[in-house]
Amino acid sequence: MEFHKDILKCDSKSEVEHICAFIQQQVRAMKRGGIVIGLSGGIDSALCAALCVEALGKDRVFGLILPEKESNPVSAEYAAKHARELGIETETVDITPTLEAFGTYRKRDEMIRSVFPEYSSESKSKITLPADLLSKDSFNFFTLKIDDGKGNVKSARLNKKALNGIVAATDSKQRTRMMHLYYYAEMKNYIVCGTTNKTEVLEGFFVKYGDGGVDIEPLSHLYKAQVYQLSEHLGVIREIIERAPSPDTWSFQVSDEEFYFRIPYDKLDLLLYAWQNDVPVEQVCETMNLAAEQVKRAMRDFNAKYNATKHLRQLPPTLE
Amino acid sequence: MDNSSKVREFVVENFLFGDGEKLRDDTSFMEEGIIDSTGILELVFFLEETFGFSVEDDELVPENMDSLQNIARFVGRKMNAGSTAEA
Repeated sequence: MEFHKDILKCDSKSEVEHICAFIQQQVRAMKRGGIVIGLSGGIDSALCAALCVEALGKDRVFGLILPEKESNPVSAEYAAKHARELGIETETVDITPTLEAFGTYRKRDEMIRSVFPEYSSESKSKITLPADLLSKDSFNFFTLKIDDGKGNVKSARLNKKALNGIVAATDSKQRTRMMHLYYYAEMKNYIVCGTTNKTEVLEGFFVKYGDGGVDIEPLSHLYKAQVYQLSEHLGVIREIIERAPSPDTWSFQVSDEEFYFRIPYDKLDLLLYAWQNDVPVEQVCETMNLAAEQVKRAMRDFNAKYNATKHLRQLPPTLE
Repeated sequence: MDNSSKVREFVVENFLFGDGEKLRDDTSFMEEGIIDSTGILELVFFLEETFGFSVEDDELVPENMDSLQNIARFVGRKMNAGSTAEA
């Protein structure tokens, strides 16, 4: 079976044409005039915006920048800069008041205080999975880490109630963004563009009816490495290409790898490709210079996450 | 009820909706998707509450937790370590 380090490299020009045809076709099929896209300041939404401009022209693409008080400030700045370079119309809506009205921060902080009673409004928090799966095996269990605002960090393994409470509250950030995207989409008679890539789809790294609540997913067939390749091709700004991918939903900054994937992106995509295409373990070891035990561990983790998140990728089951 | 039966009953009731027919002592929880990231936290809480020992983060490895037989061995080691420490 063909498997080498460049297996994910694609013909950028023809791939862009392929995706643009898809976007045009979907907008036509849904009988809408254009597309709304949430610009997070990350690479996936930046690429989507660039593709939508290629497909529909800048006048039919509307960018929505939706920061909240815990977003990294550079996110909105980079999103706005990229939108300016694309020449698209944007609007920035601070979703903090909506999240406060829903109780996102209060509900989450109550759960955090059940673990760390000293957690205050100056503190920052994040949750992470055990680091570096390829070096050290372990189950996927979440640890809560807090910073008191002065650099003093504490961490503790979460119990189920606290984990579920923190995740449920935090996921309301993505769901609030979805609500805003559809408000503007319906106002303008546009569709909503998704930004989830294949790496995220396979591992279930998105929020159902949050960033997964969209009309089309133009990147869901592209691994993250391919997202970078096309972003270079379409001239996404350097600031976005060079920043570390992050969910940007936690006040204590966390990378995608630390939060969920447990494997660096440069290895993750090749291993995911091997997993999806049943590449023999020996061949993966030889190509990637990894031990069989490491490859098998990664495959087991992909299986576990894929199976645990199956329901996220499904429409609601119905009776005939 | 012995320790192994208590763990089996917990796993069957909490992760298999009461249907433990296909659960063998060596069935891998990870391979079969029986326990996910919240399931492992429930299992650890159960072990700590039921057997009275603490499970450290670095003990959350497949060798200790990935099947009924691995858990039985882990519980045995922890209980022995506890009684040795007490003696």
